[in-house]
Amino acid sequence: MTTTTAAHALDFKVADLSQAEFGRREIELAEHEMPGLMKTRARYADRQPLSGARITGSLHMTVQTAVLIETLAALGAEVRWASCNIFSTQDHAAAAAVVGPEGTPEEPRGVPIFAWKGETLEEYWWCLEQALRWPDGGPNMILDDGGDATLLVHKGAEYERAGAVPSPDSTDNEEMQVVLGLLGRSLEEDPQRWTQLGDGVLGVTEETTTGVLRLYQMQETGQLLFPAINVNDSVTKSKFDNLYGCRHSLSTASTAPPT
Amino acid sequence: MIGGKTAVVCGYGDVGKGCADSLRGQGARVVITEIDPICALQAAMEGYEVRTLEDVVETADIFVTATGNKDIITADHMARMKHQALVGNIGHFDNEIDMAGLGRVEGVERTNIKPQVDKWTFPDGHAVIVLSEGRLLNLGNATGHPSFVMSNSFTNQVIAQIELFTKNEEYERRVYVLPKHLDENVARLHLDALGVGLTELTGDQAAYIGVPVEGPYKSPHYRY
Repeated sequence: MTTTTAAHALDFKVADLSQAEFGRREIELAEHEMPGLMKTRARYADRQPLSGARITGSLHMTVQTAVLIETLAALGAEVRWASCNIFSTQDHAAAAAVVGPEGTPEEPRGVPIFAWKGETLEEYWWCLEQALRWPDGGPNMILDDGGDATLLVHKGAEYERAGAVPSPDSTDNEEMQVVLGLLGRSLEEDPQRWTQLGDGVLGVTEETTTGVLRLYQMQETGQLLFPAINVNDSVTKSKFDNLYGCRHSLSTASTAPPT
Repeated sequence: MIGGKTAVVCGYGDVGKGCADSLRGQGARVVITEIDPICALQAAMEGYEVRTLEDVVETADIFVTATGNKDIITADHMARMKHQALVGNIGHFDNEIDMAGLGRVEGVERTNIKPQVDKWTFPDGHAVIVLSEGRLLNLGNATGHPSFVMSNSFTNQVIAQIELFTKNEEYERRVYVLPKHLDENVARLHLDALGVGLTELTGDQAAYIGVPVEGPYKSPHYRY
Protein backbone atom coordinates (compact mmCIF):
# COMPACT_ATOMS: atom_id res chain seq x y z
CA MET A 1 0.00 0.00 0.00
CA THR A 2 1.37 3.39 -0.94
CA THR A 3 0.46 6.25 1.32
CA THR A 4 1.45 9.84 1.51
CA THR A 5 4.79 10.85 2.98
CA ALA A 6 6.12 14.23 3.98
CA ALA A 7 8.06 14.38 0.73
CA HIS A 8 4.85 14.28 -1.29
CA ALA A 9 2.79 17.37 -1.89
CA LEU A 10 -0.22 15.11 -2.38
CA ASP A 11 -2.06 13.09 0.21
CA PHE A 12 -3.48 9.86 -1.16
CA LYS A 13 -3.76 6.15 -0.51
CA VAL A 14 -3.63 3.63 -3.34
CA ALA A 15 -2.28 0.10 -3.70
CA ASP A 16 0.90 0.54 -5.68
CA LEU A 17 2.26 3.61 -7.44
CA SER A 18 4.62 1.47 -9.50
CA GLN A 19 1.58 0.47 -11.58
CA ALA A 20 1.19 4.05 -12.76
CA GLU A 21 2.95 3.54 -16.10
CA PHE A 22 0.64 0.62 -16.96
CA GLY A 23 -2.31 2.74 -15.91
CA ARG A 24 -1.15 5.65 -18.05
CA ARG A 25 -0.86 3.42 -21.13
CA GLU A 26 -4.45 2.26 -20.64
CA ILE A 27 -5.66 5.81 -19.97
CA GLU A 28 -4.10 6.93 -23.25
CA LEU A 29 -5.93 4.15 -25.11
CA ALA A 30 -9.18 5.07 -23.33
CA GLU A 31 -8.85 8.75 -24.24
CA HIS A 32 -9.17 7.86 -27.91
CA GLU A 33 -12.32 5.86 -27.12
CA MET A 34 -13.84 8.71 -25.08
CA PRO A 35 -14.43 11.44 -27.68
CA GLY A 36 -17.15 13.16 -25.67
CA LEU A 37 -14.78 13.85 -22.80
CA MET A 38 -11.85 14.80 -25.01
CA LYS A 39 -13.95 17.18 -27.16
CA THR A 40 -15.37 18.71 -23.98
CA ARG A 41 -11.81 19.32 -22.75
CA ALA A 42 -10.94 21.02 -26.03
CA ARG A 43 -14.14 23.07 -26.11
CA TYR A 44 -13.73 24.51 -22.61
CA ALA A 45 -9.93 24.58 -22.36
CA ASP A 46 -9.73 28.38 -22.66
CA ARG A 47 -12.73 29.22 -20.46
CA GLN A 48 -11.77 26.95 -17.54
CA PRO A 49 -15.39 26.81 -16.30
CA LEU A 50 -14.54 24.65 -13.29
CA SER A 51 -11.85 27.00 -12.01
CA GLY A 52 -12.54 27.32 -8.28
CA ALA A 53 -14.48 24.06 -8.11
CA ARG A 54 -13.36 21.63 -5.41
CA ILE A 55 -14.95 18.36 -6.51
CA THR A 56 -15.15 15.31 -4.28
CA GLY A 57 -15.86 12.27 -6.41
CA SER A 58 -17.20 8.92 -5.26
CA LEU A 59 -17.22 6.71 -8.32
CA HIS A 60 -15.55 3.42 -9.36
CA MET A 61 -11.83 4.25 -9.71
CA THR A 62 -11.31 2.74 -13.15
CA VAL A 63 -9.32 3.70 -16.22
CA GLN A 64 -12.39 5.43 -17.64
CA THR A 65 -12.90 7.35 -14.40
CA ALA A 66 -9.28 8.51 -14.58
CA VAL A 67 -10.13 10.13 -17.93
CA LEU A 68 -13.14 11.80 -16.26
CA ILE A 69 -11.00 13.03 -13.36
CA GLU A 70 -8.37 14.45 -15.68
CA THR A 71 -11.10 16.13 -17.74
CA LEU A 72 -12.47 17.87 -14.64
CA ALA A 73 -8.93 18.93 -13.74
CA ALA A 74 -8.27 20.13 -17.29
CA LEU A 75 -11.32 22.42 -16.97
CA GLY A 76 -9.90 24.00 -13.84
CA ALA A 77 -11.28 21.86 -11.00
CA GLU A 78 -9.42 20.58 -8.00
CA VAL A 79 -10.43 16.99 -7.38
CA ARG A 80 -10.30 14.42 -4.55
CA TRP A 81 -11.61 10.93 -5.23
CA ALA A 82 -12.71 7.66 -3.67
CA SER A 83 -14.24 4.60 -5.27
CA CYS A 84 -17.91 3.77 -4.69
CA ASN A 85 -17.44 0.01 -4.34
CA ILE A 86 -14.91 -2.03 -2.38
CA PHE A 87 -13.99 -4.18 -5.40
CA SER A 88 -14.29 -1.80 -8.35
CA THR A 89 -10.97 0.05 -8.24
CA GLN A 90 -8.42 -0.75 -10.90
CA ASP A 91 -5.19 -0.28 -9.01
CA HIS A 92 -3.17 0.75 -12.05
CA ALA A 93 -5.74 3.42 -12.90
CA ALA A 94 -5.69 4.75 -9.34
CA ALA A 95 -1.88 4.87 -9.40
CA ALA A 96 -1.81 6.69 -12.73
CA ALA A 97 -4.35 9.26 -11.55
CA VAL A 98 -2.24 9.99 -8.46
CA VAL A 99 0.98 10.27 -10.45
CA GLY A 100 -0.70 12.31 -13.18
CA PRO A 101 0.47 12.76 -16.77
CA GLU A 102 3.32 15.04 -15.70
CA GLY A 103 4.46 13.33 -12.50
CA THR A 104 6.47 10.28 -11.52
CA PRO A 105 5.89 7.65 -8.81
CA GLU A 106 8.64 9.40 -6.83
CA GLU A 107 7.07 12.80 -7.39
CA PRO A 108 3.33 12.39 -7.98
CA ARG A 109 1.62 15.41 -9.46
CA GLY A 110 -1.88 14.16 -10.13
CA VAL A 111 -4.96 13.98 -7.95
CA PRO A 112 -5.47 12.72 -4.37
CA ILE A 113 -7.07 9.29 -4.75
CA PHE A 114 -8.17 7.10 -1.84
CA ALA A 115 -9.03 3.72 -3.38
CA TRP A 116 -7.75 0.20 -3.90
CA LYS A 117 -9.28 -3.07 -5.04
CA GLY A 118 -10.47 -5.12 -2.08
CA GLU A 119 -11.18 -2.57 0.64
CA THR A 120 -12.81 -3.62 3.90
CA LEU A 121 -16.00 -1.76 4.78
CA GLU A 122 -14.07 0.29 7.36
CA GLU A 123 -11.46 1.17 4.75
CA TYR A 124 -14.14 2.01 2.20
CA TRP A 125 -15.82 4.60 4.41
CA TRP A 126 -12.44 5.90 5.59
CA CYS A 127 -11.49 6.50 1.94
CA LEU A 128 -14.74 8.38 1.30
CA GLU A 129 -14.20 10.48 4.40
CA GLN A 130 -10.69 11.38 3.19
CA ALA A 131 -12.07 12.37 -0.21
CA LEU A 132 -14.55 14.67 1.54
CA ARG A 133 -11.96 16.23 3.88
CA TRP A 134 -10.04 18.91 2.04
CA PRO A 135 -6.96 20.58 3.46
CA ASP A 136 -8.96 23.81 3.92
CA GLY A 137 -12.40 22.41 4.68
CA GLY A 138 -14.68 20.58 2.33
CA PRO A 139 -15.67 20.29 -1.31
CA ASN A 140 -17.96 22.76 -3.02
CA MET A 141 -19.16 20.12 -5.49
CA ILE A 142 -19.87 16.39 -5.20
CA LEU A 143 -19.84 13.89 -8.05
CA ASP A 144 -21.57 10.80 -6.72
CA ASP A 145 -22.36 7.29 -7.90
CA GLY A 146 -24.89 5.52 -5.72
CA GLY A 147 -25.17 8.41 -3.32
CA ASP A 148 -22.73 7.36 -0.59
CA ALA A 149 -20.94 10.74 -0.46
CA THR A 150 -24.29 12.53 -0.41
CA LEU A 151 -25.52 10.13 2.29
CA LEU A 152 -22.51 10.69 4.52
CA VAL A 153 -22.91 14.49 4.35
CA HIS A 154 -26.67 14.34 4.97
CA LYS A 155 -26.50 11.78 7.78
CA GLY A 156 -23.60 13.61 9.38
CA ALA A 157 -25.48 16.92 9.32
CA GLU A 158 -28.69 15.23 10.55
CA TYR A 159 -26.96 13.70 13.58
CA GLU A 160 -25.17 16.96 14.33
CA ARG A 161 -28.54 18.73 14.42
CA ALA A 162 -29.78 16.01 16.77
CA GLY A 163 -26.59 16.26 18.83
CA ALA A 164 -26.19 12.49 18.86
CA VAL A 165 -25.41 9.57 16.55
CA PRO A 166 -27.30 6.30 17.03
CA SER A 167 -25.19 3.48 18.42
CA PRO A 168 -23.77 1.11 15.79
CA ASP A 169 -25.49 -1.62 17.81
CA SER A 170 -28.84 -0.14 16.82
CA THR A 171 -28.70 -1.77 13.38
CA ASP A 172 -28.07 -5.29 12.02
CA ASN A 173 -26.70 -3.84 8.80
CA GLU A 174 -22.92 -4.27 8.87
CA GLU A 175 -22.26 -1.33 6.54
CA MET A 176 -24.55 1.02 8.48
CA GLN A 177 -22.71 0.00 11.66
CA VAL A 178 -19.49 1.26 10.08
CA VAL A 179 -21.14 4.53 8.98
CA LEU A 180 -22.58 5.14 12.45
CA GLY A 181 -19.20 4.39 14.03
CA LEU A 182 -17.50 6.88 11.71
CA LEU A 183 -20.08 9.60 12.34
CA GLY A 184 -20.00 8.98 16.09
CA ARG A 185 -16.24 9.55 16.19
CA SER A 186 -16.67 12.59 13.93
CA LEU A 187 -19.28 14.11 16.24
CA GLU A 188 -16.88 13.85 19.17
CA GLU A 189 -14.06 15.48 17.20
CA ASP A 190 -16.08 18.28 15.63
CA PRO A 191 -19.84 18.63 16.26
CA GLN A 192 -20.24 20.93 13.23
CA ARG A 193 -18.08 19.19 10.60
CA TRP A 194 -20.81 17.83 8.33
CA THR A 195 -23.13 20.79 8.83
CA GLN A 196 -20.41 23.16 7.66
CA LEU A 197 -19.37 20.81 4.90
CA GLY A 198 -22.97 20.57 3.67
CA ASP A 199 -23.34 24.36 3.77
CA GLY A 200 -20.32 24.67 1.48
CA VAL A 201 -21.58 22.26 -1.17
CA LEU A 202 -23.17 23.98 -4.18
CA GLY A 203 -24.52 20.78 -5.66
CA VAL A 204 -24.19 17.11 -6.51
CA THR A 205 -24.33 15.29 -9.81
CA GLU A 206 -25.49 11.69 -9.43
CA GLU A 207 -24.51 8.88 -11.76
CA THR A 208 -26.83 5.99 -11.12
CA THR A 209 -30.41 4.76 -10.64
CA THR A 210 -29.97 3.87 -6.98
CA GLY A 211 -28.42 7.22 -6.04
CA VAL A 212 -31.09 9.09 -7.97
CA LEU A 213 -33.81 7.22 -6.05
CA ARG A 214 -32.23 8.37 -2.79
CA LEU A 215 -32.10 11.98 -4.04
CA TYR A 216 -35.79 12.05 -5.01
CA GLN A 217 -36.67 10.56 -1.60
CA MET A 218 -34.71 13.37 0.09
CA GLN A 219 -36.39 15.95 -2.14
CA GLU A 220 -39.82 14.59 -1.15
CA THR A 221 -39.05 14.84 2.55
CA GLY A 222 -37.42 18.27 2.21
CA GLN A 223 -34.07 16.98 3.47
CA LEU A 224 -31.98 17.78 0.41
CA LEU A 225 -29.25 20.20 1.48
CA PHE A 226 -28.19 21.32 -2.02
CA PRO A 227 -29.33 21.10 -5.68
CA ALA A 228 -28.78 17.87 -7.55
CA ILE A 229 -28.56 16.90 -11.20
CA ASN A 230 -29.79 13.43 -12.04
CA VAL A 231 -27.24 12.40 -14.64
CA ASN A 232 -28.60 8.86 -14.77
CA ASP A 233 -31.75 9.93 -16.58
CA SER A 234 -30.00 11.73 -19.39
CA VAL A 235 -31.00 9.59 -22.35
CA THR A 236 -27.34 9.36 -23.34
CA LYS A 237 -26.60 7.86 -19.92
CA SER A 238 -29.19 5.28 -18.89
CA LYS A 239 -30.22 4.24 -22.40
CA PHE A 240 -26.57 3.60 -23.25
CA ASP A 241 -24.43 2.86 -20.16
CA ASN A 242 -27.06 0.81 -18.34
CA LEU A 243 -28.08 -1.04 -21.50
CA TYR A 244 -25.07 -1.40 -23.80
CA GLY A 245 -22.52 -1.15 -20.98
CA CYS A 246 -24.10 -4.09 -19.17
CA ARG A 247 -24.53 -5.98 -22.44
CA HIS A 248 -20.75 -5.73 -22.82
CA SER A 249 -19.51 -6.15 -19.26
CA LEU A 250 -21.86 -8.86 -18.00
CA SER A 251 -20.44 -11.46 -20.36
CA THR A 252 -16.85 -10.59 -19.47
CA ALA A 253 -17.66 -10.96 -15.77
CA SER A 254 -19.82 -14.06 -15.92
CA THR A 255 -17.07 -16.02 -17.62
CA ALA A 256 -14.67 -15.21 -14.76
CA PRO A 257 -15.22 -18.50 -12.93
CA PRO A 258 -14.35 -21.69 -14.80
CA THR A 259 -17.95 -22.53 -15.66
CA MET B 1 -19.86 -21.95 -20.74
CA ILE B 2 -22.93 -19.77 -21.05
CA GLY B 3 -24.28 -21.21 -24.31
CA GLY B 4 -27.12 -23.65 -23.77
CA LYS B 5 -27.46 -22.84 -20.08
CA THR B 6 -30.56 -21.37 -18.50
CA ALA B 7 -29.81 -17.88 -17.21
CA VAL B 8 -32.21 -15.95 -15.00
CA VAL B 9 -32.08 -12.15 -15.04
CA CYS B 10 -34.00 -10.60 -12.15
CA GLY B 11 -35.22 -7.19 -13.31
CA TYR B 12 -35.83 -6.01 -16.89
CA GLY B 13 -35.06 -2.30 -16.65
CA ASP B 14 -32.26 -0.83 -18.77
CA VAL B 15 -29.63 -2.88 -16.93
CA GLY B 16 -31.65 -6.10 -17.09
CA LYS B 17 -32.30 -5.54 -20.79
CA GLY B 18 -28.55 -5.27 -21.44
CA CYS B 19 -27.82 -8.37 -19.34
CA ALA B 20 -30.50 -10.44 -21.04
CA ASP B 21 -29.22 -9.42 -24.47
CA SER B 22 -25.67 -10.29 -23.45
CA LEU B 23 -26.62 -13.74 -22.20
CA ARG B 24 -28.84 -14.46 -25.20
CA GLY B 25 -25.99 -13.40 -27.44
CA GLN B 26 -23.88 -16.10 -25.80
CA GLY B 27 -26.54 -18.68 -26.51
CA ALA B 28 -28.13 -18.88 -23.08
CA ARG B 29 -31.81 -19.57 -22.68
CA VAL B 30 -32.81 -16.46 -20.76
CA VAL B 31 -35.62 -16.25 -18.21
CA ILE B 32 -36.70 -12.88 -16.81
CA THR B 33 -38.31 -12.14 -13.45
CA GLU B 34 -40.21 -8.85 -13.13
CA ILE B 35 -42.64 -7.08 -10.82
CA ASP B 36 -43.59 -4.38 -13.33
CA PRO B 37 -46.20 -5.50 -15.88
CA ILE B 38 -44.81 -3.13 -18.54
CA CYS B 39 -41.26 -4.45 -18.25
CA ALA B 40 -42.59 -8.02 -18.03
CA LEU B 41 -44.54 -7.54 -21.24
CA GLN B 42 -41.49 -5.99 -22.92
CA ALA B 43 -39.45 -9.06 -21.96
CA ALA B 44 -42.13 -11.42 -23.24
CA MET B 45 -42.40 -9.52 -26.53
CA GLU B 46 -38.62 -9.81 -26.91
CA GLY B 47 -39.08 -13.56 -26.74
CA TYR B 48 -37.87 -14.15 -23.20
CA GLU B 49 -39.69 -16.44 -20.85
CA VAL B 50 -40.98 -14.48 -17.85
CA ARG B 51 -41.31 -16.51 -14.67
CA THR B 52 -41.10 -16.08 -10.94
CA LEU B 53 -37.81 -17.00 -9.33
CA GLU B 54 -39.62 -19.75 -7.42
CA ASP B 55 -40.48 -21.41 -10.75
CA VAL B 56 -36.91 -21.64 -12.00
CA VAL B 57 -34.68 -21.59 -8.94
CA GLU B 58 -34.12 -25.35 -8.98
CA THR B 59 -33.47 -25.68 -12.71
CA ALA B 60 -31.50 -22.64 -13.85
CA ASP B 61 -27.70 -22.46 -14.11
CA ILE B 62 -26.95 -18.73 -13.90
CA PHE B 63 -28.65 -16.04 -11.79
CA VAL B 64 -28.06 -12.30 -12.20
CA THR B 65 -29.85 -9.67 -10.11
CA ALA B 66 -30.46 -6.28 -11.74
CA THR B 67 -33.35 -4.86 -9.74
CA GLY B 68 -32.06 -2.09 -7.47
CA ASN B 69 -34.11 -3.72 -4.74
CA LYS B 70 -33.22 -5.93 -1.79
CA ASP B 71 -33.74 -9.57 -0.81
CA ILE B 72 -34.11 -10.81 -4.39
CA ILE B 73 -32.13 -14.05 -4.02
CA THR B 74 -32.38 -15.43 -0.50
CA ALA B 75 -30.32 -18.06 1.28
CA ASP B 76 -33.31 -20.38 0.91
CA HIS B 77 -33.22 -19.89 -2.87
CA MET B 78 -29.51 -20.72 -2.95
CA ALA B 79 -30.12 -23.80 -0.83
CA ARG B 80 -32.42 -25.08 -3.56
CA MET B 81 -30.23 -24.29 -6.59
CA LYS B 82 -28.42 -26.80 -8.79
CA HIS B 83 -24.88 -27.79 -7.90
CA GLN B 84 -22.47 -25.03 -8.92
CA ALA B 85 -25.15 -22.63 -10.04
CA LEU B 86 -23.59 -19.21 -10.66
CA VAL B 87 -24.98 -16.29 -8.66
CA GLY B 88 -24.10 -12.66 -9.21
CA ASN B 89 -25.44 -9.12 -8.93
CA ILE B 90 -25.11 -6.15 -11.28
CA GLY B 91 -27.26 -3.72 -9.27
CA HIS B 92 -25.52 -0.94 -7.39
CA PHE B 93 -25.71 -2.34 -3.86
CA ASP B 94 -24.94 -5.74 -2.38
CA ASN B 95 -28.33 -6.36 -0.76
CA GLU B 96 -29.99 -7.97 -3.80
CA ILE B 97 -28.44 -11.32 -2.83
CA ASP B 98 -28.78 -12.14 0.86
CA MET B 99 -25.11 -12.78 1.59
CA ALA B 100 -25.57 -12.26 5.32
CA GLY B 101 -28.31 -14.90 5.31
CA LEU B 102 -26.13 -17.27 3.30
CA GLY B 103 -23.36 -16.89 5.87
CA ARG B 104 -25.80 -17.77 8.64
CA VAL B 105 -26.94 -21.06 7.10
CA GLU B 106 -25.99 -23.77 9.54
CA GLY B 107 -23.10 -25.87 8.24
CA VAL B 108 -22.51 -23.80 5.09
CA GLU B 109 -18.86 -23.62 4.06
CA ARG B 110 -17.19 -20.88 2.05
CA THR B 111 -14.21 -21.72 -0.17
CA ASN B 112 -12.41 -18.93 -1.95
CA ILE B 113 -11.55 -20.05 -5.48
CA LYS B 114 -9.80 -16.83 -6.52
CA PRO B 115 -10.34 -13.14 -5.81
CA GLN B 116 -14.06 -12.31 -6.05
CA VAL B 117 -15.07 -15.92 -6.75
CA ASP B 118 -16.35 -18.00 -3.82
CA LYS B 119 -17.85 -21.46 -3.66
CA TRP B 120 -20.45 -21.83 -0.91
CA THR B 121 -21.10 -25.49 -0.06
CA PHE B 122 -24.26 -26.49 1.75
CA PRO B 123 -24.43 -29.37 4.24
CA ASP B 124 -26.09 -31.57 1.59
CA GLY B 125 -22.95 -31.26 -0.54
CA HIS B 126 -24.26 -29.01 -3.30
CA ALA B 127 -22.60 -25.63 -3.83
CA VAL B 128 -23.31 -22.28 -5.42
CA ILE B 129 -20.64 -20.01 -6.91
CA VAL B 130 -21.06 -16.39 -5.81
CA LEU B 131 -19.31 -13.58 -7.68
CA SER B 132 -17.85 -10.53 -5.87
CA GLU B 133 -19.63 -11.36 -2.61
CA GLY B 134 -22.83 -10.13 -4.20
CA ARG B 135 -21.42 -6.76 -5.22
CA LEU B 136 -21.34 -5.40 -8.78
CA LEU B 137 -19.96 -8.37 -10.69
CA ASN B 138 -18.99 -6.46 -13.81
CA LEU B 139 -16.60 -4.27 -11.82
CA GLY B 140 -15.54 -6.92 -9.30
CA ASN B 141 -14.94 -9.78 -11.74
CA ALA B 142 -14.09 -7.74 -14.83
CA THR B 143 -13.10 -4.19 -15.67
CA GLY B 144 -16.55 -2.61 -15.88
CA HIS B 145 -18.09 -0.89 -18.84
CA PRO B 146 -16.02 -0.08 -21.93
CA SER B 147 -14.61 3.40 -22.48
CA PHE B 148 -16.86 4.47 -25.32
CA VAL B 149 -20.11 4.07 -23.42
CA MET B 150 -18.60 5.65 -20.30
CA SER B 151 -17.62 8.65 -22.41
CA ASN B 152 -21.34 9.28 -22.88
CA SER B 153 -22.08 8.96 -19.16
CA PHE B 154 -19.11 11.02 -18.06
CA THR B 155 -19.65 13.79 -20.61
CA ASN B 156 -23.06 14.21 -18.97
CA GLN B 157 -21.30 14.33 -15.62
CA VAL B 158 -18.88 17.05 -16.74
CA ILE B 159 -21.68 19.13 -18.29
CA ALA B 160 -23.76 18.70 -15.11
CA GLN B 161 -20.84 19.81 -12.94
CA ILE B 162 -20.32 22.89 -15.14
CA GLU B 163 -24.07 23.67 -15.00
CA LEU B 164 -24.38 23.46 -11.23
CA PHE B 165 -21.09 25.19 -10.54
CA THR B 166 -21.38 28.10 -12.97
CA LYS B 167 -25.17 28.71 -12.77
CA ASN B 168 -25.71 27.77 -9.15
CA GLU B 169 -28.13 30.60 -8.44
CA GLU B 170 -30.54 29.13 -11.03
CA TYR B 171 -30.92 25.90 -9.08
CA GLU B 172 -32.97 25.24 -5.94
CA ARG B 173 -32.62 22.37 -3.50
CA ARG B 174 -34.29 20.01 -5.94
CA VAL B 175 -33.35 17.24 -8.35
CA TYR B 176 -32.98 18.23 -12.02
CA VAL B 177 -32.19 16.47 -15.27
CA LEU B 178 -30.08 18.08 -17.98
CA PRO B 179 -32.03 19.83 -20.74
CA LYS B 180 -32.56 17.83 -23.91
CA HIS B 181 -30.33 19.96 -26.12
CA LEU B 182 -27.35 19.08 -23.90
CA ASP B 183 -28.34 15.42 -23.95
CA GLU B 184 -28.52 15.49 -27.74
CA ASN B 185 -25.15 17.20 -27.86
CA VAL B 186 -23.55 14.39 -25.86
CA ALA B 187 -24.74 11.95 -28.49
CA ARG B 188 -23.58 14.27 -31.28
CA LEU B 189 -20.03 14.28 -29.84
CA HIS B 190 -19.87 10.50 -30.26
CA LEU B 191 -21.14 10.16 -33.85
CA ASP B 192 -17.93 10.84 -35.77
CA ALA B 193 -16.04 8.08 -33.98
CA LEU B 194 -18.54 5.55 -35.32
CA GLY B 195 -18.73 7.05 -38.81
CA VAL B 196 -22.37 7.99 -38.41
CA GLY B 197 -23.83 10.01 -41.27
CA LEU B 198 -26.56 12.11 -39.67
CA THR B 199 -29.42 13.33 -41.84
CA GLU B 200 -30.36 17.00 -41.45
CA LEU B 201 -33.90 18.31 -41.44
CA THR B 202 -34.83 20.90 -44.04
CA GLY B 203 -36.41 24.06 -42.66
CA ASP B 204 -39.70 22.94 -44.15
CA GLN B 205 -39.48 19.52 -42.48
CA ALA B 206 -38.53 21.06 -39.15
CA ALA B 207 -41.52 23.39 -39.31
CA TYR B 208 -43.80 20.46 -40.23
CA ILE B 209 -42.98 18.61 -36.97
CA GLY B 210 -42.56 21.82 -34.99
CA VAL B 211 -38.91 21.60 -33.96
CA PRO B 212 -35.87 23.80 -34.64
CA VAL B 213 -33.56 22.49 -37.37
CA GLU B 214 -30.75 22.22 -34.80
CA GLY B 215 -32.91 20.48 -32.19
CA PRO B 216 -34.02 19.55 -29.64
CA TYR B 217 -35.98 17.06 -31.69
CA LYS B 218 -38.18 15.31 -29.16
CA SER B 219 -40.74 16.41 -26.61
CA PRO B 220 -39.87 15.87 -22.93
CA HIS B 221 -42.24 12.91 -22.68
CA TYR B 222 -40.70 11.02 -25.62
CA ARG B 223 -39.26 7.74 -24.31
CA TYR B 224 -36.71 6.68 -26.94
